[in-house]
Amino acid sequence: MSEHILATQGVSKAFDGLVATNNVTYGLFPGETAGIIGPNGAGKSTFFNLLTGYYPPDTGQVFYHGREITKLPAWDRVNLGLVRTFQLVSVFDTMTVLENMMLARMRQGGSYASKGRFFFGRARRKGLDDECFKALATMGLEGKAGTRTSDLSYGEKRELEIAIALSLNPQVLLLDEPFAGLSLVEIGNISEVIKKLKGKFTIAIVEHKISKLMDLVDRLSVINEGALVCSGEPREVICDPLVRECYWGKEDMVCY
Amino acid sequence: MLQSIFYGLTIGGILYITSIGLSLTFGAMRIVNFAHGMVYSVGAYGLYYLSHSLGLPFLVAALGSLLLAIPLSYVIERLVIRRLYGQSIDYAIVATYAVLLIGVDAIKWIFGPNPLPISDPVGISLNLGFLEMPVYRLIIIGLSFLIFVGLSIFFKKTIVGKIVVAGLQDREAVRSLGINIDRYFAIVFVLGSALAALGGVLYAPLSTVQPYMGFQVLVLTFAVVIVGGMGNFRGTAIAAFSLGLIIALTGRIWGPAAEAMVFVVMAVVLIIRPIEV
Repeated sequence: MSEHILATQGVSKAFDGLVATNNVTYGLFPGETAGIIGPNGAGKSTFFNLLTGYYPPDTGQVFYHGREITKLPAWDRVNLGLVRTFQLVSVFDTMTVLENMMLARMRQGGSYASKGRFFFGRARRKGLDDECFKALATMGLEGKAGTRTSDLSYGEKRELEIAIALSLNPQVLLLDEPFAGLSLVEIGNISEVIKKLKGKFTIAIVEHKISKLMDLVDRLSVINEGALVCSGEPREVICDPLVRECYWGKEDMVCY
Repeated sequence: MLQSIFYGLTIGGILYITSIGLSLTFGAMRIVNFAHGMVYSVGAYGLYYLSHSLGLPFLVAALGSLLLAIPLSYVIERLVIRRLYGQSIDYAIVATYAVLLIGVDAIKWIFGPNPLPISDPVGISLNLGFLEMPVYRLIIIGLSFLIFVGLSIFFKKTIVGKIVVAGLQDREAVRSLGINIDRYFAIVFVLGSALAALGGVLYAPLSTVQPYMGFQVLVLTFAVVIVGGMGNFRGTAIAAFSLGLIIALTGRIWGPAAEAMVFVVMAVVLIIRPIEV
């Protein structure tokens, strides 16, 4: 357990008797990029929400750096470096791109974040703006800073969400279906970004289409009907008979 | 006619001040908070106790009454509201209604069931010949306008305000930024409750204080919130003043229909724009 940066020990979660996550023991190694796949409704997102603290597990424990965080609220985990994105992109539509970033950066170090800052304007004069432009530039969004977020394309919103997540100083970055709803070009862009981030910190990606993860991740785990089916090298995993069974006919997979 | 409009604006001002907290709690936490009516009554009775029983000057009594409402609403938030986050709306209705009933009975127990009078603290009117304007009512209108401007600045320019606005849109997304949104909502809850108490304080000298005043205002503020839109600051202001005017103008034509007219408007708004709870 101790070599894992983030790990679960036998976590389960049921909703009205329906078991969504069933006794999952799983761990992320520091620096790896891991994929979690499974058919729709397999319980991937529920498991993700257990990792990030959005649901409390019915049974089992969650560990971070070897310390138990099962009962730690979601927002507090973020401050420890456990940062996530959502399946449905979550940015604030009525604000500008820059304001979205300011909301995230507001509490992340810098003299502007010190206690007692009450007005936005003051924090901005203290260097918050520069920091935010820098953070937006990581995803090439600095030119859109003044744009109202509702005017962005869905792909740009996803980029903004990732830029915000990166600005929160993640140690573990958890991406919940980052490609959902994107065009092929946008998927390519996001994949490139993730490739560049590989190795800088630990990354976990939930996805239901295997093909998008094959070249991206070091290790692939499969969840089906709430349980962890298998875990290993991507190419080995897709040839596992159990995995082929739960995906059979849904996606073409080539075994090498 | 002008006189009715002037009175309507006074009622609108009080409705606005009282409704804003309910609208925010509704919009932010999806909690129907009947206890809001109790805090309103506590504001009025606090004023009565401090000014009439202890003989303090009106301003001091009014401020004291607001200061009383803050810890009270904090306790309600801590013991009742906080347990209702994410629960079904029926729980909120039952639990906060219980708080309201406890409050009403406590008031009856302490002050008795009879209406108690509070006199107009200013007692001066501006007479323009065609229009008589009690200064106290002018103060109410001015104060409600100041609060509107103040809240606009609070939600646009301050960090706390921005976080709350973001939380109204997407609570989970604010959490994912490492922000304890529940704490900010608690601040807003207490702020909204203090404003409800202020509404009670301001209304008391226009009428009498009586144990069921919280029920009466609650029904009207719900109408304001539904017409103005939950969690919509500007909509709440527009709805409060419009309904205030409707009450006053209907009352001029046919008294008994005054408050009923509010619900006719509410029904029309619900037909045109159904709310999602």
